[in-house]
Amino acid sequence: MSRGVNKVILIGNLGQDPDLKNAQNGNAICNLNLATDESYKDRQTGQLVPKTEWHRVVLFGKVAEVAGQYLKKGSKVYIEGKLQTRKWQGEDGQDRYTTEVVVDITGQMQMLDSKASEE
Amino acid sequence: MARGVNKVILIGNLGQDPDTRYTPNGNAVVNLNLATDESYKDRQTGQLVPKTEWHRVVLFGKIAEVAGQYLKKGSKIYIEGKLQTRKWQGQDGQDRYTTEVVVDINGQMQMLDSREGGSGQQNAPAQQQNAPAQQQNAPAQQQNAPAQQQNAPAQQQNAPAQGQNEGASLPPMPEPVGDPDGFDDDIPF
Repeated sequence: MSRGVNKVILIGNLGQDPDLKNAQNGNAICNLNLATDESYKDRQTGQLVPKTEWHRVVLFGKVAEVAGQYLKKGSKVYIEGKLQTRKWQGEDGQDRYTTEVVVDITGQMQMLDSKASEE
Repeated sequence: MARGVNKVILIGNLGQDPDTRYTPNGNAVVNLNLATDESYKDRQTGQLVPKTEWHRVVLFGKIAEVAGQYLKKGSKIYIEGKLQTRKWQGQDGQDRYTTEVVVDINGQMQMLDSREGGSGQQNAPAQQQNAPAQQQNAPAQQQNAPAQQQNAPAQQQNAPAQGQNEGASLPPMPEPVGDPDGFDDDIPF
């Protein structure tokens, strides 16, 4: 069995509405664009330096359906998944690689917005 | 202050010796190619399906020096870092993006090999992993070969539309990277 660990934990906000699709076999696939705020205070100037990291998150199965249904742009979520890199070909025929955070049956997604704050 | 969380935890083996470089101001930067074994048993056939995910890990500062000094191909390590994606330009002038696991002052690196297997005193307390370095190389290499077959089963679980995880084949990347950070990498992936 597998003896490695491959775990990613993110808390951030959606940069846009979730993109929910169905695979040919009917399973839901949901793509999220997630921003983690990593702003920090500059030691010398004392000013806040804005820094945002963007993550491609892909959810599969039941959790994808939930995400597609309840999340929207700006939603704050907790994500627990794994790193996966896939290869694809650009229009120029050259290989490209995209690294994504994959949330499957072994992962987790939790919505962190309070119900009251949802308009 | 930052209110988000961006954390990556990996335990895996090095696919090759660490690649140490120095920034103009003398700081060490170490690139690691780390394999996480995610092999699983096929429910129907009962057979073990090999699956390896490869990760680009970049260490900075003191921990980079330690890594460069004590790690080698096959070493088993624990990594705690953050995800970072950087943009660079290919030789064709097009934008490319590379996602790396960055281990800086907020991160951690621990060596998991027993003393006998590794070199140096900094190793983690000897655990049950007394496989000498030689043996540890073996799994990493075996995983390269069957990489092609991994795609089929993996896709059942994941997006059918997406070619899964070719990473295991560790493609020798053709083009040198014009790296904006000033560390040019052999493997822009």
